[in-house]
Amino acid sequence: MATIAYEPRRPNIASANVQLPAVPDYEHVDDAIIATLKPTKAWFAMLMTAIAALGLGVAAFLYQVHQGLGVAGYNPPVMWGVYIITFVFWVGIGHAGTLISAILFLFRAGFRTTIYRCAEAMTVFAVMTAGLFPIIHLGRPWKFFWLIPYPNWRLLWPQFKSPLVWDVFAILTYLTISSTFLYVGLIPDIATLRDRETNPVRKRILALLSFGWRNTEREWRHFARAYLFLAAVSTPLVLSVHSVVSFDFAMALTPGWHTTIFPPYFVAGAIFSGIGMVFTIIIPIRKYFKLQHFVTINHLDAAAKLCLATSMIVGCAYLIEFFIAWYGGVQVEQDFFWNRVFGQWWWAAWIMITCNMILPLTLFSQKLRRNPAWLFILSIFINIGMWFERFVIVVPSLSHEFEPWMWTTYAPTWVDYSILIGSFGWFFMWFLLFVRQLPVIALTEVKEIVPPRLKHAHAHTPANAEDFEPEMPGDR
Amino acid sequence: MRGVVGHFRELDSAVEAIEELKQSKLGDLTVFTPTPRHEFEHALHPPKSPVRKYMLFGGLAGCVFGYWIAVWASNYWPLVVGGKAFSSWIPYTIFGFEVFVLVGALSTVAGLFIHAGVPRLTMMVGYDPRFSRGDYGIWVECSPDRLAAAEALLRKHGAVEVRGDR
Repeated sequence: MATIAYEPRRPNIASANVQLPAVPDYEHVDDAIIATLKPTKAWFAMLMTAIAALGLGVAAFLYQVHQGLGVAGYNPPVMWGVYIITFVFWVGIGHAGTLISAILFLFRAGFRTTIYRCAEAMTVFAVMTAGLFPIIHLGRPWKFFWLIPYPNWRLLWPQFKSPLVWDVFAILTYLTISSTFLYVGLIPDIATLRDRETNPVRKRILALLSFGWRNTEREWRHFARAYLFLAAVSTPLVLSVHSVVSFDFAMALTPGWHTTIFPPYFVAGAIFSGIGMVFTIIIPIRKYFKLQHFVTINHLDAAAKLCLATSMIVGCAYLIEFFIAWYGGVQVEQDFFWNRVFGQWWWAAWIMITCNMILPLTLFSQKLRRNPAWLFILSIFINIGMWFERFVIVVPSLSHEFEPWMWTTYAPTWVDYSILIGSFGWFFMWFLLFVRQLPVIALTEVKEIVPPRLKHAHAHTPANAEDFEPEMPGDR
Repeated sequence: MRGVVGHFRELDSAVEAIEELKQSKLGDLTVFTPTPRHEFEHALHPPKSPVRKYMLFGGLAGCVFGYWIAVWASNYWPLVVGGKAFSSWIPYTIFGFEVFVLVGALSTVAGLFIHAGVPRLTMMVGYDPRFSRGDYGIWVECSPDRLAAAEALLRKHGAVEVRGDR
């Protein structure tokens, strides 16, 4: 009798051919992921903390509205500060979700399957947070809608050549499309929740939210096609949004800003920071809900490689900025970059370089890429580093322009810091509410990579399912 | 119209049943599956989804509108900058692109809803909550004289449960 020689598994190698060896069947997928929806005391405590942080931010904003923008740390000509820095930071965070869900979908990168739902939700909430900051930054925030082109009695229209109007279109389009992408992907999962729900009121709500989805082959056929096209148009959108944000700076004749490298530099930085935030969120979720057999070490390893690649692109962009300043031979640019790294703002620049260029190089080590604790710690450094990157872009340029009499300093006040903390409260409040109501891992897409039950054994059926995935070679 | 629905635990059993039902032409088939499987597409040979056309025409309409609003507003309310044209197509490409994506994507979702038959307020005949969990279902809609033959065929291929519905 002929024997079948199975190729030995290489469990410690992250590859596109993702398997979930410890997930035996579709029912297990439902049971394990839907179990995350039960409220716990820890979740409630985190939600209360997020709401308290949000309350602090709201109080500070109302104080600023009452007193005027003077209570923020603006010091002319540094009239862009923490609010614009935080705006760019959150838009950047919002990039990883659509990158993971759309671009990696088109590239058939299997490791996205278990992390994309979290990343998509993160995107929507991050863009919701980012959208608040240009409004907070306005002296009269209640007039924000003047940037939107709408027929009005004065027959006034916005200046379509202004990067600020480009921003409005780019951010609103991105928010709409990323929310649509998230919701379309959620429809079949909400239908699964509807079918499991026993509470009649919740069941009714879920039935409405799932639009009466019935899992027919006809629905899936159109769904798959629509999802593919949504991914296809979201891909250039991801690249365009942060390019447009970078035009806010690059269109100005300010030292350090007026450079053509900004669009790719901003996009790479945004993807890098977004993946950092994905790690910050997914690693605790994975541990807390015991989802290690879904979000496997291989998935984290593959995402860490992406993180390393984007870190190196960002690092390269930092160095090219210096090269351009030197090679361009413009004295003002050279002085500005010297001041950025060795002068007035050396501490911020070195935080940025350490967190974004040096520490991520540890991901060349397979051992560290496969260590969730290190990935989580590194992600915190990346978040800090990327906030400081935006600080280094915004503040040193404005505080060190062409004429020495314009040189000044900048220090945020308690109002700036409170609103910054409030933005984290706002973001995490929405995310925590999401985690409790909807599946953090896509049920139907995970089922696609779990082998179906078969009457006759199939050549593709894995014959060597294991209870767990070894983290390092030789682990048993 | 009456029919029978068969529950299958295994994917290949359901696919075999579909192939034989297609050959025997007992009635119209609706397949329920917890996740999309290409095996069903191969067995059913459905027509190509027209959703892509919604993307194309929606996107083109959006692109035209994006350029038009910027050009029209610039000419209607000119902001004159020395020697420059009122309208400048290079920056306006941003509006063309953004509105292309916006309208194209929303049209695609509209196409999905129209062709998939959602939103639907009442649950479909033959549907069972197990079809979103792990089981596959085949709903055969046929005339009363063919019900027995359809049921027998479903059972022959390993349906764990067959029930009539209308």
